[in-house]
Order: sequence, then structure tokens, then C-alpha cells
Amino acid sequence: MTENRSLRHIGLILCLLWLLLAAFPLYWVLITAFKPPLAVSQGPTYIPFVDYQPTLQAFRDAFAGLRGDFTGPIVSSILISITSTALSVFLGTMAAYALVRFNYRIRLVSGLAFATISIGGFVLLDIFTDLRVPYALGLVLVTALPVAIWLNGRALPGPVMGNDDVTFWFVSQRIFPPIVSAFAIYLLFAEMGKIGLPLLDTFGGMVIVYTAFGLPFAVWLMRDFLSTVPLEVEEAAMVDNIGRVRIFLQIVLPMATPGLIATSMIVLAFVWNEFLFALLLTTGDWQTLPILLAGQNSSRGDEWWAISVAALISIAPMVVVSTILGRMMRSGLLSGSIK
Amino acid sequence: MTSAAHQQDRVKHLFIWPAVLIVLVVSLFPLIYALTVSFQTVRIVPPTPPRFVGLANYAEIAGSARFWGAIWTTALITFLSVALQYALGFMLALALHHNVPGTALYRVTFLLPMFLAPVGVALIARMIFHPYLGPVNDAMAGLGFAYVPFLTEKWPAIMVLALIDIWQWTPFVTLLMLAGLQGLPQEVFEAARVDNISAWRRFWGITFPMLLPLSVAVIFIRLIEGFKIIDTVFVLTGGGPGTATETLTLFAYNEGFKKFNLGLTSALSFLFLIVVIVFGTVYLAAAQRVTRRFA
Repeated sequence: MTENRSLRHIGLILCLLWLLLAAFPLYWVLITAFKPPLAVSQGPTYIPFVDYQPTLQAFRDAFAGLRGDFTGPIVSSILISITSTALSVFLGTMAAYALVRFNYRIRLVSGLAFATISIGGFVLLDIFTDLRVPYALGLVLVTALPVAIWLNGRALPGPVMGNDDVTFWFVSQRIFPPIVSAFAIYLLFAEMGKIGLPLLDTFGGMVIVYTAFGLPFAVWLMRDFLSTVPLEVEEAAMVDNIGRVRIFLQIVLPMATPGLIATSMIVLAFVWNEFLFALLLTTGDWQTLPILLAGQNSSRGDEWWAISVAALISIAPMVVVSTILGRMMRSGLLSGSIK
Repeated sequence: MTSAAHQQDRVKHLFIWPAVLIVLVVSLFPLIYALTVSFQTVRIVPPTPPRFVGLANYAEIAGSARFWGAIWTTALITFLSVALQYALGFMLALALHHNVPGTALYRVTFLLPMFLAPVGVALIARMIFHPYLGPVNDAMAGLGFAYVPFLTEKWPAIMVLALIDIWQWTPFVTLLMLAGLQGLPQEVFEAARVDNISAWRRFWGITFPMLLPLSVAVIFIRLIEGFKIIDTVFVLTGGGPGTATETLTLFAYNEGFKKFNLGLTSALSFLFLIVVIVFGTVYLAAAQRVTRRFA
């Protein structure tokens, strides 16, 4: 028993040390936001009212727009992240529901045919025609897709993939280093701009990109949540001849509300904090908060009070998000999804 | 086919196609274009018509010391931070699993760091590790050490970058390992306790092997995510001094958006993909070996 007690002491000390380590940076940014310039430039000060007199000046400056446009990036961040979170959670939930309730069989052959036709077709079009890139890609897509679907219906040899493989296909997007797709999307968006459909630095472009970016999370998380929704209710509704779409919207979605909230929070956090895509794909009008934050660094020098205010603005919504998730975890709503 | 089955079939496609199409069009199709560009010379500034150059771009990247330096830096930061995250995160999970007082308090502080923008965290780190105005060097001076130029020298900067990753993502390891611990069958532990087996041997004999598959998955996720690192480096050091802390993603960004050589950058990003796939495969193969030895 003494062994157990000493282990518990070590555990407690470890936890307290971690708590201190985790909390200190947050404490630091919070107090720095209220520091007057002198409390920063003359060396570190630690305790408000003792070491220095707190002031709201940095907040006033930020919101008066004295130090560059703050409200613009905040508004674009809010609009972009809410729209794309809603879209990707909704579409992801639909796909996740389909993956839980229906069986999909995809032949490896038809997948390979799809890849070959798309890549080969595009290379050929690129070399031998003057077709613009977006048109060429579109042409390749509308040819490859029907061929692949037709092949999938034939009785062909080779391995057949099921629902788990489809899920893996969604999730595998996350294994890709994002710079690969970010750069590719940048190139394609630039080409789209040349044919009169501006997507670089626009609301639409960013929403499309972030919806695709959030989908893997949404499909993966919602699949776990939806598999816990009991089948009986749906079967009863089917007997009453209620259509699948209505069952989905009116029965399944309400029953999966905790899962929907949790998934939305996680996707929202990822979109809100996303840096690389925003760095490449926006230049001014639709710049998001992380880009503004990164810019603070070079434009502000050591004006830490102003930088802290900017950091706090980006942190605030995430405090709400993690509190909601923390509550849900405590009440055991998320216990199933982690496993 | 009955009408119900037919309807079922239509609905089945209706539900899955929107998501599949978006991922296809946004995430995968641009890659085809980037792949063809990677075999060409394309410059925006000065604008030149694309010219097919075969594997020249790939050869140029693979031959550049900066590319290998970036791989080394990325791997160093990632392995360092993931190793510590795993050890620390597992220990914290064990402590929480054995009901250390104040569990509710840890929950929120555990979740928050993960949800903060890495850019914001990097800014905070910049303040804290500032050579003259930051509290860390103030504490060092208080203890009688000399000031450390944390962000302007290679090794201190790499340590700070790893530390940020540890700060943000140790909670992730803790949460997953905690869930794993809570899912273990209690009977085995009861039996071990009755047989008076020490806590140390209980851990290495039962807990660790049983959680090995979960550990492999958690470390895999963290390695893959770790390799993407750019935000914190961008803010903290900008890759400097020189290119001493330049990671792969940052290298690709600098190459593509400062030199505007699109062909070269596309080739670079595909090489990056290959590096990740190689690392991932090697890791999973090694992990399988270890798992088999313990099972």
C-alpha cells in the first residue's frame, strides 16, 4: 500500500506541474494585454496592480482601428468558418449516415480505371490541345466518372472494397501534407480566375476549400456517433412508409444532436485556426484571423500589449468551444466516440 | 428490382455523392494538375510559357542540401516532440485514471491548448522566450544563468518549437490514452493485485502491452500531424537563423511564393508526399514488429 501511496504522490505532483506549465502561457497573454507599454519594455512584469497598473488602452486601440484593420479579418474569419463548418458537418453527416446504413461495394478495377482516365486524359489534353486547365479537368471528370460507375456494375475480377475502405479514403486526406493540396489548389484557382471565375481571395473559394478540409473529420466522427443511434426507431418509421430523407432529417439528426455539436466544435476549431490555406489563397479582402496574427509579428516589433489583444481575440471563441466539449465529456456524451 | 429497393438505391447515392464529389474536385483533382506542372518549368515572374523538362525539377530538389536539411529539421522537431508527448501524456493519463484529486479542473486545461491557433501560441511563445523582455530569461538570470538567445540560435529555437508542440498536443495523447485505460478489463488488474504483483510490473506486463495498438495509432496520428508543421516556425523564427529551422512545408512555401517557380514547388510538394509515405510505412512496419513481440 505504501508503494501505491508514493505513486499517487508522484502522479499528483506531475499533474500539478503540468497544470502550471499549461496555464502559464495563458496567464501571460492575458496579463500582457492589459499592460501599459512601460511595463513591457523595461523587462518582464508579473502581477497586475503590484508590478504595474493595468490599462484597457490596447483594447481601445485595437477596436478603434488605430493599428490596422482588425474587424475585417474577424468578420471574414467568422463568416468563412461558420459557413464551411455548417456545410462540411451537414454533408459529412449525410455521408456518414450512408456509410452506417447502406452497403457500398467498389471494385478496385473501377477505381484504378478512374485514376488512369483522369490522370492520363488530363496529361493528353494538356499536351495536345490548348484547352484551359479547368475545362480540361472538368472534361476528364465527366468522362472518368461514368466509365468508372459503369465498370463498377460489371462482373469484373479483382478485389472489392467496402464501407471501411470508403471511410479510409475520406480520412486519408488528412495524411497528405496540406502544402501538397494547398499549392495545387492555388494553381487551379489561379487558372479559374483566368477563365472568369475568381476563387482566390474570395468568400466562395475559401468556403469550398474549408468544406473539403473539414469533411474527413466530419465523416469520421459522425460515423461513430451515428452507429450508436438505434435502428429500431428508423425501422418503425420505414414501416409507416416515411422516406429516407425525412427519416434522416427528422429522426436521425435530432437523435444525434450531441454528436453533431461535438463534431461541429471540432471542425470549427480546425477551420478557425487554419493557417496554411489562408496564407496561400488569400491576399487581402478575405484574409482570416491567423494571417493577421502572423503579420503582427513583423509589423509590431515588441508591442506585446497589442499583440496580446490580437491573440486573445483569436483565443476567445476557442475557450467557449473547449468548455462546451469539456462539459460534454464529463457527462459521458463523447465517451463512445473516442474509442 | 422492387420499387422499395430501387428507392433505397437512389437514396444511397444521394447521401454519399455530395461529400465524395467535393473531396474529388477540391482535394484530388488539383493534384493532377500540380503533378503535370511538376514536370514542367513554369514561372510567373517573369512569365514564361510552360516547358516540359521531365524529371529535372525532381532531380534539382533531391540534389539540394536545403531540402535534406528541411527533412532533417522537420523529423527532428517531430520525433523529439512526439516522443515526449507520448511519455508525458501516458503518465498524465495514468495519474488521472487513478483519480488524482481535481480531475474536473484538468479536463478544461487539457482541452484548451489543442484548440488554440498555433499562430497565436507561437506569438505567446515569442513573448515568453524573448531574450530580454521575456519571463524565461528573467527566471534564468534569477537562478544565476546567462541569457539564452532562444529564437536566434539553431538548437534553442528547435527546442522551443518542440516545446510548443508538446504544450499543445500532450493533452491529445492524454485524452486518448485515458479513454484506452478506462476501456481495459478490470478483472486482470484485480487478479494481479491479489497475486501481489508490483505496480511497475503490472504496468509493463499488462497495461502497456494491452494499450500498444492504441499507442501505435496515437503516435502515428501525431507524427503525421507533426510533419505538417509550419505555423509556429513561420511566426517564431521564419526558418532562421539562415535556414537552420526551416521545415519542409515552410521550405515549399518559401520556394513557391518567393521565387515563383511553380514547377519546382510542385515537384517539391510531391517529394514531400513521398517522404511522408516512406516515414509512415517504415513506422507502421516497425510498430507491427514491436506489437508482435509483446503479444
